[in-house]
Amino acid sequence: MSAIKIIEVPKWGLSMEEGTLNRWLIEEGDRFTLHQEICDIETSKISNVMEAPFEGVLRRKVAVAGQTLPVGGVLGVVAEASVSDADIDAFLAQRAPATAAPVPDLVTAAPVAPVVPEVSVTVPGPAPAPNAQAAQGWTVPQALLGSCPESVFATPHATRLANEQGIDLSRITGTGPQARISVADIERAVREGGGKVAVLAPALKAAGPVRSRADDSQVLATPLARRLAAERGVNLNDCRVTGSRGRVCKADVLEVSAAQNPVLAPTDQATPEPDAVEVLPMSGMRKAIAARLQASKRTAPHFRLQAELDLEALLTLRSEINASAPAIKLSVNDLLIKACALALVKVPDVNVQFDEARQAVLRFSDADISVAVALPGGLITPIVRQANRKSLAQISAEMLSLVTRAKAGTLKPEEFQGGSFSMSNLGMLGVSQFDAIINPPQGAILAIGAGEPRAVAHNGQVAVRTQMTVTLSCDHRVIDGALGAAFLKELKRLVQTPSLMML
Amino acid sequence: MTDKIDVVVIGGGPGGYVAAIRAAQLGLTTALVEQQHLGGICLNWGCIPTKAMLKGAEVGHTLKHLNTFGFSAENVQFDIAQLVAHSRGVSQRLTSGIAWLLKKNGVRVIDGRGRVSAKGVVSVSTGQGEQVLQARHIIVATGARPRSLPGLAADGQKVWSYFDALVPKSVPASLLVIGSGAIGVEFASLYRDLGSEVTLVEVARQIMPVEDHEVASLVQREFEQRGIRVLTQARVSAVEGEVGALRCRVTLKEGGEQTVHVSQVLLAAGIEPNTQDMGLETLGVEFENGFIKTDAWCRTSVVGLYAIGDVAGAPCLAHKASHEGVLCVEKLAGVDGVHPLDKSRIPGCTYARPEVASLGLTETAAKARGLNIRVGRFDYQANGKALAMGDSTGFVKTIFDADTGELLGAHMVGPHVTEQIQGFGIAQCLEATDAELSQVIFAHPTLSEAMHEAVLAAGGRALHQ
Repeated sequence: MSAIKIIEVPKWGLSMEEGTLNRWLIEEGDRFTLHQEICDIETSKISNVMEAPFEGVLRRKVAVAGQTLPVGGVLGVVAEASVSDADIDAFLAQRAPATAAPVPDLVTAAPVAPVVPEVSVTVPGPAPAPNAQAAQGWTVPQALLGSCPESVFATPHATRLANEQGIDLSRITGTGPQARISVADIERAVREGGGKVAVLAPALKAAGPVRSRADDSQVLATPLARRLAAERGVNLNDCRVTGSRGRVCKADVLEVSAAQNPVLAPTDQATPEPDAVEVLPMSGMRKAIAARLQASKRTAPHFRLQAELDLEALLTLRSEINASAPAIKLSVNDLLIKACALALVKVPDVNVQFDEARQAVLRFSDADISVAVALPGGLITPIVRQANRKSLAQISAEMLSLVTRAKAGTLKPEEFQGGSFSMSNLGMLGVSQFDAIINPPQGAILAIGAGEPRAVAHNGQVAVRTQMTVTLSCDHRVIDGALGAAFLKELKRLVQTPSLMML
Repeated sequence: MTDKIDVVVIGGGPGGYVAAIRAAQLGLTTALVEQQHLGGICLNWGCIPTKAMLKGAEVGHTLKHLNTFGFSAENVQFDIAQLVAHSRGVSQRLTSGIAWLLKKNGVRVIDGRGRVSAKGVVSVSTGQGEQVLQARHIIVATGARPRSLPGLAADGQKVWSYFDALVPKSVPASLLVIGSGAIGVEFASLYRDLGSEVTLVEVARQIMPVEDHEVASLVQREFEQRGIRVLTQARVSAVEGEVGALRCRVTLKEGGEQTVHVSQVLLAAGIEPNTQDMGLETLGVEFENGFIKTDAWCRTSVVGLYAIGDVAGAPCLAHKASHEGVLCVEKLAGVDGVHPLDKSRIPGCTYARPEVASLGLTETAAKARGLNIRVGRFDYQANGKALAMGDSTGFVKTIFDADTGELLGAHMVGPHVTEQIQGFGIAQCLEATDAELSQVIFAHPTLSEAMHEAVLAAGGRALHQ
């Protein structure tokens, strides 16, 4: 994309809503650098020099001296010489309709003036000569007429206006700092003296209210105002400050909200016909499950490997720990998470994601284990990050919190998005063995059945021991049979000799 | 086999049932184990039924002062049984309301006595035998019961506890109340209005030891004017004799001993937590002064085990228990923006005549912390509404940080103050300073104007005194 940028009226302070361009300090075709002074802008409070928020070449002065624009209004267009005038015309034409559409993404955020309004503004093409316009509509009372002594303290804009209208500024009382005379002071004096002032053409005013995107967390506001603003999508930077102790209050937010959200007529809602079939719209979660697992089954060639694990030693270890430490309650699942994590580190080629777009395998050095948690109407897979580095107590405490918060729906996205390997345990529901669908883009998932007493050969004898069947589903595009087998072998070694997990 | 229950609450009082409802609202599977009454002591033997009885006392008081308003009545009869029936009826109604709320929210209620038989396991002894619940989180909310004194325990005959005092068969001719916390003071006031000769015995230097000293001395003065005998720094060492003719030996701090002859004694010397036979010691739960030790999020030293309300320590108030129930559950469920309990923001209310309500630090406590304070006082004698009601005894006292204007404490004694203390609570919660409170427009004529004036008074600008 060719870089066409705009220079906007910056927002200097919370209450600034518009600014008047006093004069340009550079000319069309001039190259300017970052922070170079490019123009003079006057607000209701101050007159100040605007520094360039970026560097470039000023190609078009959209605003002319004396013109008042809302914050975010277009002052000028910046582009390299390679950009043709026609392109700039097209760009301006595209922006011209005063709609609330977001700014096209060729607008870059300015580092100096980070507030980038979303609203585009009606841009008067090559504007009518400001002087001619300013001269129209003014009737200055006789008492104010005269030539202006140079010693009078006035804003540049006020001085120019006085010169244009032949007003003697020494006859006007300034209300600014150090009695500085502003345009408003002149206008008031003219009106009070029975004269008339020109009303700025409405087209030059804001075509739509400003919507800042800057962080407003530091703006002082009452608790109610902050919440109201959040609910209505109002940025506190756009609000006036009329509350106690310099805080934005409810009325300030409502004012902006009303300006930004014109009342819409209520739409008639058609009542659906009752039906013999109950129609249950798919929840967002259901749709996500459907789409992801459908894609997984369709694109990932699954193969499954099964192993039977002897749990006796693991159960002994678990009861020993649980009996001696009040602050710890390990479940079999907690121990299996740890065992899987250590096995994945040992066989890292199973600890992978498949990046289909890049045709690459992403191999992870830490095991981030996604654990499937059943919810009413769906399931979610919160992640125990770096489970290989965590103690059993840490894993256990984390799982308790993750499962509870999964049920309460308070998990944060980063807590269930990602992961390098998944586990699904239906043992507590009495399932002996099953196989699971891979959680893309991961390479494998372990399906865990119930630990149950089975008659097995043990030291050459038939013995009843607690056994558990686990099934590893692998994506054959990235994991081969022997690799999956190596993982299961390591897992079995850890589960059946759990003291190895203490190393 | 079934999946674990997310949250099992043991105890259905104002801590437990609120925790259960909140957990269910958050989408957690929840069970509540209660051995006797939903609503706990609060609804059945505490806050609520006493308020019903105290309303009766207020009616009695009004009847005695009808002439103020030009009325007279003859042959007024009083039947204590009817007042007790009203009180019990209110409790019953609220208890069934709780059952409905729990059902509506999908909480499984199990009738029986629960104990924590292992980490994550609750065993419930029900009428049909033992039921075992597997739980991710267990919240102990078993409350507290009246405390006995050495050599002195409530027996329901000579010595009542609040249980007995709420269902009297008759109004005792004379009553000695041991302890002047909220319970002792309320019953002393209640029975005095019902016609008993009342003696109130307190071991500490002032009655209502947790309240501001000025408030306590006003209550004592009022009580004494009503004919209640108040003995502070005194200890009941023995109760002898038979019901109806009891001899109470009272040891005074100054030395010496008095014998007080009464027909009934009420023991209201505090409460102790219900932690026995719960299996807690075996699990390794840590205790502090007999209460279960918890952290800022109501967690005990045992994984997945929480304690809220009276069983987790002072202040033993229903609203503290409810608040802990909510914060405990919201924390474990990962709700954003949960704050630990700030004990300086728990209001305390005593529904005697006069009523007492307070929040935050007393003047003495603020000074003891070396805080630079400004104190405002406003008397109900200068409040039009109070005078119109014929009930103008009392005052409002505010304590502000002199530097920041923060509301550190508010102490109110007088008509309907328990309904008004929330105004200061809201202000404190929103961190309003004396400047904001001064700007609030209070309706005229209301009792609450005294709150406004007490705020203004702290800045030396009260308008009506």
